[in-house]
Formats: sequence, C-alpha cells, structure tokens
Amino acid sequence: MMQKLWLKKPILNYSKDVLDIVQFGSSVEEGKTPNDLDIAVIFNKIPLKEQLNQAQEIKKQLEKLVEISVHINSFDLYGLFDSSNFAKESILFSGKSIIHGDDFAKRFGFSPKIQIYYSLEKLKKKDKIRFNYMLNGRGGEYGLLRGHKGELLKPGLIEINPQSESIFVNSIKGYKVDFRVKRVLIG
Amino acid sequence: MNKEETLIKAGKEYFYSGNDEFNKERYNSAVVLYFKALISFSDLYVLQKTGDTPSSHNDRFNITKRKFPEVYNLLDKDFPFYQSSYVQIMNKELAEVIKDDAKIVAEKTNTKL
Repeated sequence: MMQKLWLKKPILNYSKDVLDIVQFGSSVEEGKTPNDLDIAVIFNKIPLKEQLNQAQEIKKQLEKLVEISVHINSFDLYGLFDSSNFAKESILFSGKSIIHGDDFAKRFGFSPKIQIYYSLEKLKKKDKIRFNYMLNGRGGEYGLLRGHKGELLKPGLIEINPQSESIFVNSIKGYKVDFRVKRVLIG
Repeated sequence: MNKEETLIKAGKEYFYSGNDEFNKERYNSAVVLYFKALISFSDLYVLQKTGDTPSSHNDRFNITKRKFPEVYNLLDKDFPFYQSSYVQIMNKELAEVIKDDAKIVAEKTNTKL
C-alpha cells in the first residue's frame, strides 16, 4: 500500500549529498486515497542544478515502485525552512523518512503528535457510551485508539499519530462533540 | 509561416523575454518564460524528429517519455516550477537552471540563441 512505502524502506540509490528522502502529504495519511506521491528530497548545501538532477534520478526509481504519479520537491535545509516553502509544515510534521522508515521530525529529535481535546458534556448518556466504544473498542474489537496506536492521556484528551488525524477527526465529528486539535512536537 | 518557423520564432521570443525579465531580477517571470521557451524548442525537436507536434502537455510528456527521454527528463524536472510559479517565489539560481535547459534543447534543434 502507498501509505506503507516509507515503512518498507525501499532500497534507493542516492549520493551522500542526500540527507533524507521524505514522503509527505495525502499519501501518508491513513484512510486517504492519494492521487500522487509527494516526495521531498533534502540535500546538503549543493548547487540547485545538482539537486534537481539527483532528485530526478530518485524520482525515476520511485516511479518503478508505485503506480501513481510521483511529485518530487528538492530542498537544502535553508530552502526547507524558507518562509516561501508552503509544504514546510507538512514535511516537518507529518513527513515520513523513506531512508529511516520513521517520522522525519525524529531526525531533529522530536516526535510529532496530534492531541485532540474533546468534551462529551453535551452528549446524551447513550452517545457518551457509544463514543467511548468508538475510541476504546467493545467486546474484544479494537477501538480507534488501539487500531491506530493512539493513547488516552486523560479523560477528554487523546494523543495520536499525525497520519491518523483525519480518521479521528472525521469519527469525532460524527458525534457533534466540541473538540479542538493541537499539533505538538515532543522532545 | 510554417510550424517549424513558428516554433523557432516563439521559442526565441520567450527566451529573450526571459533574459529581459532575468536582467530586471524578476525571476518568477523569467522562470515562466524560460520554461515556455523550453516547451517551444521541445515541440520543435519532436516536429523535426517525427513530423508532428504534441497537442497538449499530456501528449508532449507521453511522446517525449517514450521517444526522447533526454528531453522528457528536462521537461519533467522543470515543469513543477512552472506550475508553482504562481504561488512561490522563484530565485535567480532556478531561473538559470531552466534557462540552461532551454538552451540545451535549442541546441538539439540547431536553433541559435
């Protein structure tokens, strides 16, 4: 599956100028059907022409592994953090390193998490019970938390992985509860 | 004016207009114009080799990918910058890269710039 490409850590040929190859965007989000594979290749400080040529070679290798189109972006670290890079947040927060098979943010010493604060106060008792079943499961069936490696930090606060955000948010919306989403990098 | 003459005229015009914008440090405009020059020279190359020109971006990518991978590689590499030139700030280094690529394909068509 596309979403698991980064987990497979496919063997790719690349030079020592490449710091990381990051899968990001809808292709890493659970429950989404991506139309394309967004990839960011992060380089040491080398000339742009060289970056683009090397990124193109990596793209060709990735195209052999997937059936959808590959969109490749190349950055050095300055370019990655530049204010004009609109994909910066997505790459840093939700990006998955294809080289390391893990969150790209971990290269900087951070673990990205989504915290969802919610209140069940306005729900009827039966809906509160259904909501808890949804999160925690029932009768041996996995709930969303166990199924997606999330965690109940305290009543009214769950912590999940970035790639599961839309699954949790869409499920919670179905209950018409008040909730807010916070993105955190845990050191 | 036939197709070949039209493509040469258009390619040169885009390229020289790209130079004008480049010299004014308007790099977004320069990137767009150099890429358009690259497209004109790519179509000219396809015309010279096959006797026909692509009818759309999709057609262009398909034909070059199949028959002229060295040209496809340049188009495929530079196209995302053309697409994002509306919403991103382009820099001098990138404009130079696309300018060089337009020159490479112009040379393949024996067009003097």
